[in-house]
Amino acid sequence: MKLVYKITLANALGIIAIVLVAAFSYHDFNLLLAKLRFVEVADALNASFLEMRLSEKNYFLYNDKAAFNQIQKMIQENYLTIESMAPSIIKVIGKDNFEKLQLCLKRYDNAISKAVKEAEHNKDTLKIEEQVRPAGRALRLFSERIVKAERREVNNIISASKKTLLSFFGLIILVAILSNYFFFSRMFRNLRRIERTANSISEGKFVKIRGKIPDNELGSAMKAINSMCEELATRHEQLIQSKKLASLGTLTAGVAHELGNPLNNISMVAQTYLELATHLSEEEKTEYVQTILDETERIRKIVQDLLDFSRAKEKDFKICDVNDVVLRSLKLVKNTIEVSGLKTSLELTDDLPPVYVDEDKIREVLVNLLTNAIHATPPGGNIILRTNLAPDGKNITIEVEDTGKGIPPEFLEHIFDPFFSTKGTEGTGLGLSISYGIIKKHKGTIEVKSKVGVGTTFTIKLPIYTGEEG
Amino acid sequence: MNGYKIMVIDDENVVGKMIKSSFGQDGYIVEAFLDAKPALERLKEEKFDVIITDLKMKDIDGMEVLNRVKKEAPDIKVIMITAFASLDAAVEAFRKRVDDFFAKPVKIAELKACVKRLLEEKN
Repeated sequence: MKLVYKITLANALGIIAIVLVAAFSYHDFNLLLAKLRFVEVADALNASFLEMRLSEKNYFLYNDKAAFNQIQKMIQENYLTIESMAPSIIKVIGKDNFEKLQLCLKRYDNAISKAVKEAEHNKDTLKIEEQVRPAGRALRLFSERIVKAERREVNNIISASKKTLLSFFGLIILVAILSNYFFFSRMFRNLRRIERTANSISEGKFVKIRGKIPDNELGSAMKAINSMCEELATRHEQLIQSKKLASLGTLTAGVAHELGNPLNNISMVAQTYLELATHLSEEEKTEYVQTILDETERIRKIVQDLLDFSRAKEKDFKICDVNDVVLRSLKLVKNTIEVSGLKTSLELTDDLPPVYVDEDKIREVLVNLLTNAIHATPPGGNIILRTNLAPDGKNITIEVEDTGKGIPPEFLEHIFDPFFSTKGTEGTGLGLSISYGIIKKHKGTIEVKSKVGVGTTFTIKLPIYTGEEG
Repeated sequence: MNGYKIMVIDDENVVGKMIKSSFGQDGYIVEAFLDAKPALERLKEEKFDVIITDLKMKDIDGMEVLNRVKKEAPDIKVIMITAFASLDAAVEAFRKRVDDFFAKPVKIAELKACVKRLLEEKN
């Protein structure tokens, strides 16, 4: 479902709940208003009925002749009140009760009219009293009962409406929670997936978003990020390759020297063989030819090393001895170091525990660090390679130290940033950032310390192989 | 048998061996060393006519050998050979009065001609 629809639906649900609450409240308040108005009218009627009964008492106790006339006047007023309020009274107490009220009033009216006539003929007051008083009591009792019932009803409505409001409140919260769960929690989960991928991209890991891609706006964003990831991974690979080709250029000078010696040996053996052929014993001839073959093999190995270094290869993690890796890396740049008039010192610790690494990759890092050291160090300088067990006992450290010009402090913090180079147009600015990425993939660290005019030391830390691969 | 004494210093074993075989055929007495240090020691006990030394070596390099020989026994002829023939190295070597300079791969016939010429100069 598209996010726009989801958000609209969630909002619509909220609005419906609020409209329902409003409708129920409106209905409840209307009913309450009608009831209260009735209670008001009923109170007035009740007061009037009470007055009628008081007049009644005046008549019978003090023989007040005017009392009945007063009662009759009040009855007429009450008729009018009941008549005029009829629709609203019916609405509240129902037609049956309304008619009963009318009947009670009518009976009282009749009783009073009869009493008035009989009083004119001076009949026995006791008899008259017997007729009037029950009718009056009935009227008052009935009206009081209705008023009480209505008051109860008002209270009921208030508490019911309180309950309804509370339930609706609960319902709204429930709708909010559920809509959040169904619509938004998944959306936030997906947003988090995007966030994680963006973070790993910024760390140089181009891992695509895996799993189900939703069919909405976020899904489109995820697809876009995935194709960007693919593109970045390809570009990154190309950059690494171009960086390698660049450092290959630096290596070439050294390789020329490395190849020069076996070529010279072959040439000299061949020349001597031609010169002395007739004087050489069969044994010596075999020895000469074998030397040529040995030297050819030496050339083949040099070329193979160079090819291995320049080729983009699949990951190949193996249990390795750090010192071996260091020596093999040094071999690749040994001649470049010599040609540059530099010396190397090896301070390798024996019997170090093994590491689990992609040897080609670590060699690439070391060759890169060594090449940087060569570029930074003037002739006569020294390059020191050191291996040690880290103080924590869980890592091996490899140090590449030079006595070169050093790196100014303001450059140090950017040294592992891609495309940051202090070599001007000579460097691609990728070597150290690629090295950083490689060491990070090995769950290791790479740090740099430098002092201008004194030298620079790069320290690589690699975890010791514990039997768990990766 | 001309009896001239030649010292070869080169960390490449084959170089000394071939020079020994080829020059030995012409009556030279050749001693080969893989490192400069024992070679310089040997110089103290034995007189050599020509030294053929490599430029790049592990302990002491060819320039240093040239320096010491020219200082201590200037009449010994020194020929330098190198696999990495840079103009800078050649200039420096000639400044230090090297007698000749060869780039690898070395032509043995040319080397022989050079040794012969240097010995004639010496005499």
